[in-house]
Amino acid sequence: MTGEPDTRCPRPPAPISDYGLLGDTRTAALVASDGGIDWLCVPRFDGEPLFGRLVGGPDAGMFRVGPAGPTTVVERRYRRHTATLETTWAVGSGRLTLTEGMVAEVSGRLLPTTLVVRRLSAEEAAVDAVVEFDPRLGVRHRRPRVHHRRRTLCEWGSLAVSLDSAPELAIEPGRPTSITVRPGHPITLVLAVAHREPLIHVEPAAAWDLLIEDENRWRGWTAEIDESLPFREHVVRSLLTLRLLTYSPSQAPVAAPTTSLPEDPGGVRNWDYRYVWPRDASIAVSAFLSVGKPDEAHGFLAWLLHASRLQRPRLPALFTLHGRHVPAERDLGGWPGYLDSVPVRVGNGAARQHQLDGYGWVVDAAWAFAQAGQRLYTETWRAVRGFADVVARRWQEPDAGIWEIRAPAQHVHSKLMGWLALDRALRIADTHPLSDRQRRRWQKARDAIAAEVRTRGFDPTMASYVRSYGSQDLDAALLVLPLLDMENVESPRVRGTIDAIRDRLSAGGPLLYRYPPGRDGFPGTEGAFLPCSFWLVQALARAGRRLEAVELFQTMLDYASPLGLYAEELDPATGAHLGNYPQTLTHAALIQAALAIRDAPAIDPGSA
Amino acid sequence: MDWAGWALFGLVATVALTAALISAQLAGLTRLDLPLVLGTLVTEDPDRARVVGFFIHLCAGQGFALGYAATFALLHRATWWIGALLGTLHVGIALTVILPLLPGVHPRMASQRAGPASTAVLEPPGLFALNYGVQTPSVAAVVHVIYGVVLGLLLQAD
Repeated sequence: MTGEPDTRCPRPPAPISDYGLLGDTRTAALVASDGGIDWLCVPRFDGEPLFGRLVGGPDAGMFRVGPAGPTTVVERRYRRHTATLETTWAVGSGRLTLTEGMVAEVSGRLLPTTLVVRRLSAEEAAVDAVVEFDPRLGVRHRRPRVHHRRRTLCEWGSLAVSLDSAPELAIEPGRPTSITVRPGHPITLVLAVAHREPLIHVEPAAAWDLLIEDENRWRGWTAEIDESLPFREHVVRSLLTLRLLTYSPSQAPVAAPTTSLPEDPGGVRNWDYRYVWPRDASIAVSAFLSVGKPDEAHGFLAWLLHASRLQRPRLPALFTLHGRHVPAERDLGGWPGYLDSVPVRVGNGAARQHQLDGYGWVVDAAWAFAQAGQRLYTETWRAVRGFADVVARRWQEPDAGIWEIRAPAQHVHSKLMGWLALDRALRIADTHPLSDRQRRRWQKARDAIAAEVRTRGFDPTMASYVRSYGSQDLDAALLVLPLLDMENVESPRVRGTIDAIRDRLSAGGPLLYRYPPGRDGFPGTEGAFLPCSFWLVQALARAGRRLEAVELFQTMLDYASPLGLYAEELDPATGAHLGNYPQTLTHAALIQAALAIRDAPAIDPGSA
Repeated sequence: MDWAGWALFGLVATVALTAALISAQLAGLTRLDLPLVLGTLVTEDPDRARVVGFFIHLCAGQGFALGYAATFALLHRATWWIGALLGTLHVGIALTVILPLLPGVHPRMASQRAGPASTAVLEPPGLFALNYGVQTPSVAAVVHVIYGVVLGLLLQAD
């Protein structure tokens, strides 16, 4: 084993779908199939990047453990029903396997909050490998102060990381270290992070045991998931991904662990998703509830209650992980972006928008919670009443809508979701106290929304609801229509809307654009929006067209990354994943689609 | 040491602190809710927790008032500004020591180290209780200074 005074080897960026997710429910790392961790923020999802090469270029740091030279991946998978990732390369006459994960359960024990464990093992023959450890912190890619005391220690004031290895390696940050891995003699590396506390060193053998313990916990967690789910393996992977993206200290699901992975490579559609959208999270709540995971749903509702308290009854479009205001959007100067997609942004400008649909998702989640036999606390019901009051008062105003269009309009989807908020609040009121005056006000507003949407939001020539009043554009978000019970699911209006969206927003095969590409005021274009395809599956299943739904769902599974993960969008021409990754909304929509298939009648009147 | 004054005025000062804190919450300045935080030691229902927590808070307020009254007795005088200084010291300890340590003992409060097995749902306060809103340290300082001033004035007048 030798240290080499060599420069870092430049690596082209991997395709987005090449990345695997390592997570501990507090933060997450993205690791490419060459063994390079190119993204890890500490100490939380929305913290400063420690390895930021994904969108920050070579100077933003990375941590690669893998074969020394060019090679091929022969197998890459998560260990079944766990968050542990295994990558195997064929190298000469041998095989090299990297097994890695983050330790999620550190509470109640003397362990660091962030602990990454990576083990290299060889089979059949000795294999040359390399360790490239180059941590750089924050926006300016700050180099650490480095100490070597049995282990490599890197320090930036209040933040420190240690890299331990067994057997002991002389690892110099920023320089590749060549090693030889022999069969039966694995090499284990342990990265520990300390933020505003002393470093806690964990011996590599003990860290490996902790990872195995965690694996067993994840297997136990997945064993509790409903056995009767269709496409269960895919749904389990999506549920695991959702749980890994749920920040345990507050129980809030982050939209994605990344910022500025582009929707349009080389373009400006690069956004920071390391925040919590109540809409996405509410969909995840329903998903968790439906598969027998009420604790996760309860945790999110409690968080929402707490987070929204300062602004209540107004519901902000997004929050930080701890329910604070999302910082103003700003560009990171000097960050080259993924595939030259600039600017790289932090913060999010959508935080101050009025989005009526958010109220619908949240009240619907509360309804799902109550319907599942869970009790709504008085305070939760008070908050829901407040949200319904806002909808009854403001539904006629233009809003930014689910797609966060920066020029407000009378979005039909927003009106539908406003209707949903009032309808579900009234349903909850059947078992919870509500004054007659408030009930009448909600009923009046709900009926007024339905009447207005039916006249102003429907285009008889297209036999479909449209994107906004008077518009000829369609909106794939309208696929929620069969889920609401506002229209009979077998009505011509519902069928017409589903078919029109499928026809006119098609991006080929099962893929859909969310609205006609480019009609959002931003330069450039974008890919097919993956959650919309799963909403189409859900809509078909709810409308009684089960066979079509199943066929479409199966096709959508083919678009997953090799590890079963989904970004927000997909390039219909190349199949490349686009946008932040992996994406909570896409995985939640996948689960909802599978559940809709499960609940759809076996006999398919639509195909008869 | 004025035991009767301590017993009555401790109660009055704690009620004043709680009222000021609730006013700040209603004004949208902070999400710090001491009755909720304390009451969820006993029950997870937020509404019941607030009732229980209010009484726990009153008891805690009496305990702290004992320290204030003892300090006034040691100094042989009680004034509003000594009360305010003690309130400042009190809030300093609360924000930097008591609240950040709470996740270690609170059964329903998540810590920054919480993992997937955690079913705790109360958000941890963090340093200076900043997780409950950026204005939380200021609000906490003001209400504790009110507490100290009230005690100082009442024990001075006694």
